[in-house]
Amino acid sequence: MAEEVYEKKVLDRISDALIDGLVSIIDKVKPGWRVKNRGRIEEWKLMLYALNRSPVGLLGTSLVVLFIILAIAGPFIAPVSYDTQIIFCDRDARLAPPRTTVQIPDNPFCRKLGLKPGNFTMLLGGDDYGRDLWSRVLYGARTSLVVAIIVMAVGPWIGVLLGLVAGYYGGKIDELLMRITDVFLVFPGLILAIAFSAVLPYRIQDVLSVHPLLADVMRVLFAIKPENEPQLASLLSVIVALWLVWWPFYARLVRGMVLSAKENTYVEAAKALGVPSWKIMFKHILPNIAGPIIVFYTMDFGGVILTEAGLSFLGLGAVPPLADWGRIIYDGSRYFPDAWWLVFFPGLFIFLTVLGFNLLGDALRDVLDPRMRRSIEFKIKKRVVVEEVSSGS
Amino acid sequence: MGANRCRDPIIVVEDLYINFYTYAGIVKAIDGVSFCIERGETYCLVGETGCGKSVTSRALTRLILPPGKIERGRILYYPEPGKVVDIMKLSEEELRMIRGDEITYIFQDPGTALDPLYTIGYQISETMLVHGYINRIKEGISKAIQLLKETLIPDSEQRAKSYPHELSGGMKQRAVIATSLANRPKLIIADEPTTALDATVQAQIMELLRNLKKQRGLTILLITHNMGLVAEMCDRVGVMYAGQLVEEAPTEELFQNPLHPYTRALLRAVPNPLKKIEKLESIPGTVPNLIYPPPGCRFHPRCAHVMDTCRRQKPMFIRVGDKHYVSCWLYSRR
Amino acid sequence: MAGVVTEHVQGADKGYDEAVREAWRFLPGEKPLVVLYRLKKYFPVKGLIRVKGWVRAVDNVTLLIPEGKTLGLVGESGSGKTTIGRLVLRLIEPTSGSVFFMGRNIFKLRGRDLRWFRRNAQMVFQDPYGSLNPRMTVYDIINEALRTHKIDVGDPKEYIIKLLYEVGLNETHLYRYPHEFSGGQRQRIAIARVLALQPKFIVLDEPTSALDVSVQAQILNMLKDLQRRYNLTYLFISHDLGVVRYMSDYIAVMYVGKIVEIGPAEEVFEKPFHPYTKMLLASIPVPDPEYVKKKPPIRVVGEPPSPVNPPPGCRFHPRCPYASEKCKREEPSLVEVEHGHWVACWHPLN
Repeated sequence: MAEEVYEKKVLDRISDALIDGLVSIIDKVKPGWRVKNRGRIEEWKLMLYALNRSPVGLLGTSLVVLFIILAIAGPFIAPVSYDTQIIFCDRDARLAPPRTTVQIPDNPFCRKLGLKPGNFTMLLGGDDYGRDLWSRVLYGARTSLVVAIIVMAVGPWIGVLLGLVAGYYGGKIDELLMRITDVFLVFPGLILAIAFSAVLPYRIQDVLSVHPLLADVMRVLFAIKPENEPQLASLLSVIVALWLVWWPFYARLVRGMVLSAKENTYVEAAKALGVPSWKIMFKHILPNIAGPIIVFYTMDFGGVILTEAGLSFLGLGAVPPLADWGRIIYDGSRYFPDAWWLVFFPGLFIFLTVLGFNLLGDALRDVLDPRMRRSIEFKIKKRVVVEEVSSGS
Repeated sequence: MGANRCRDPIIVVEDLYINFYTYAGIVKAIDGVSFCIERGETYCLVGETGCGKSVTSRALTRLILPPGKIERGRILYYPEPGKVVDIMKLSEEELRMIRGDEITYIFQDPGTALDPLYTIGYQISETMLVHGYINRIKEGISKAIQLLKETLIPDSEQRAKSYPHELSGGMKQRAVIATSLANRPKLIIADEPTTALDATVQAQIMELLRNLKKQRGLTILLITHNMGLVAEMCDRVGVMYAGQLVEEAPTEELFQNPLHPYTRALLRAVPNPLKKIEKLESIPGTVPNLIYPPPGCRFHPRCAHVMDTCRRQKPMFIRVGDKHYVSCWLYSRR
Repeated sequence: MAGVVTEHVQGADKGYDEAVREAWRFLPGEKPLVVLYRLKKYFPVKGLIRVKGWVRAVDNVTLLIPEGKTLGLVGESGSGKTTIGRLVLRLIEPTSGSVFFMGRNIFKLRGRDLRWFRRNAQMVFQDPYGSLNPRMTVYDIINEALRTHKIDVGDPKEYIIKLLYEVGLNETHLYRYPHEFSGGQRQRIAIARVLALQPKFIVLDEPTSALDVSVQAQILNMLKDLQRRYNLTYLFISHDLGVVRYMSDYIAVMYVGKIVEIGPAEEVFEKPFHPYTKMLLASIPVPDPEYVKKKPPIRVVGEPPSPVNPPPGCRFHPRCPYASEKCKREEPSLVEVEHGHWVACWHPLN
């Protein structure tokens, strides 16, 4: 008697296609998954619809996606390598303003540097070593993304784990864990990271020399040349430093949410069923407090990138000749404001990336709110009521 | 419609429609409700969660907050016999002067009805101050103590100086009742006033309301889901289901001769603590979603006597006996 | 009697004989499934620096829950009835005392034994809106119970559908989330989850107080039906005397942490001996205007005292119309006033 029709925009159709594609892949791996998770799939679609209806969210998503594409493809699409000093082939390359075209002479030396003879346009200009800024920014994107991923893959989860345990068990365990957290929290994160990353490189150097495989993996991830492998140590020390400062906030956040979530009757019901504690924590509590965590987690990708750039700017972290946004700004600041592009462009990239993650996080706050989803469901479902009476008579 | 059912009404509601514009859709919460309350009687609106009894009671002083909206209907208030106030036409300011003065509310949760930052005495005096019966808070304190005495709060001088958290649930509800008596109430709307309280305390509060009504000549509108309270307190009962008034009758008549299938089922589904019952009768199904209410009679999907007409047309609210009205096709003479 | 005890409980834990001997007095002739023995639960009232006092939520309760029957536990808020429900399932640990389930002291169980207990003793909660994880489908919710206890049921899907039919739902509900159901349906899901484990003992903690009357009757009838079919033992906790009377074989009335009256349901309702039981019964509004007219006026005095500092002597004496000097000083213990009907009062009625 009543039929529901959807009014979808182009973006919604793309979202549907994306989800359906993903679902059929999962369904292939786990037969029957689609049927069992109908409700979940519907929710996913609604989440994307919600995102599609938020201009801020779309802007954030675009910026983030753009950043990720640049970071992955960057080293492949960069005209030259991050350490190619074009200055050796054309003196004009030194501190060249954006869109400067330099002449590459046809000689074996320049070829060896990876430069083709003829005109070469330095899109964003060049630095004091005559290196192409555009190429360095692209490599820098890779550095930022890899650092962010490695930091975020460990640091917050330490916090989530400790927060879960502290909040769930309470009592003395809670007391102990939270006091430790407090100790870390009272130190400003950046200063703590500076202290760590000043001390750590030597240790990490040792570790890398003992485990060449680890060094190789890192080298590939950061897309750097084998001869720059020794420079990795300081970059990795920043990562370890950020692990250590990035968990206390999450421990606090999660503990607070667990304290209220564990009051839910379904937690008690699970206990009464005999469900083991770790399962209650991860299956019953964590999914129900995931929303705010995901929001902060997303925003923190920007935070890590900003902090890492900040550390590099202070001379910790990436060392020359590695490309890193913070380091490029630091090196270029000596020529500011004459060679403004050395500061401006990496700064712009940092700004847009961090902005992107923040906007996305902000939009996720709404997207992950079930009430929001219900309202979307209502808005995009247009109800056509065909009364029995009117159709009958 | 509503008016001619009462001889000397204090409130007449005619053809009230209220919708709630929620994120999930438009909830047709009240669908054409008409009734009146006789001056000096206790009228009960009884029904299950979401049947619209609370919304109806709030609508009497247009206390409907967004996303709720009174779509149409007439609400007439007769402060004295022969004097009519059209509630729908009053300004917000004029309404405010009636609320808390002539028409007062007692809500379910006494904990949230009182402000934790002020003493009981202060809050009672404030009600009087707002309505201009006194000029300074201090003037009202002695009256407040008097009112606390009237609501049988022991040690009332001390209690007037207490903060809400220092009182038990029952005492808080008494304090709320005292507040509602502070001015010159004519109609008290008690919305599930004892649901949050224990049985023995409930009995005390009900006893108190009964006595206050007698002493002060009040009119009470009692909103409840408890058939026991209906039997003990009320003169006339309106049974609501899914936003509609399905039956109205004097209390004894309703219990002896329930006509609407819903009323009948409801009465049989309540376990009576004084009788041994072998098998409770239950009503199949659940209360409908009022975003997409069933067409015709809203009870038809759960009704044992459903007919073809029920599915198509909304039944009229018809008179079937002295003061007994029902909205069901079984009793329609067509 | 001790001989009888050991006869049908093999491998009983230490202290069981003694406990059963004491608890059996109250419900002679019944087969004990759960025995509460001198059970106490005090909650600390924390001040700024140190503990200010103790809430005596459950104070020295000895009780027997007979197999295949329903014991109704009645009381007002703060009487400790919910605390007892949580104690007998070991959701909280007692201050002292013990609870025996089929002869085993549940507070001493570890590992496999504890899992055996968890499987056999289950609970249906008051709040059907909160007791189901909103992020799990009905299938997951019930399957979790099966997987936790590694119960082999062949095809879990088939088994779960069978269970759903048993509680009046069907396979179309299998992959839905709790928010798609009404309160009554959610309570059915919660009951299905409990039944999945084929338990012997179920604590029903106000299972219908959040539901509407029309739905309440459905759930109550279903629970009665299930009990008959599977020989379930219920501890039915409620403040609604009508519902308790409908459901229970025996009734224990609690007042501020203590049991004040216990006996067969009909006798307690028809002929209450404790003044508190009488007051409680008299304060229930009866859905019968004819009765209301004849009903004698009742005097309900005062409100339940705080369990932090309960009155000395009989805890009911400040509200009791029959209180004597003795009641203010000495605490009465349960005595048998009629066969199988016990009351803790110095001046029992009738």
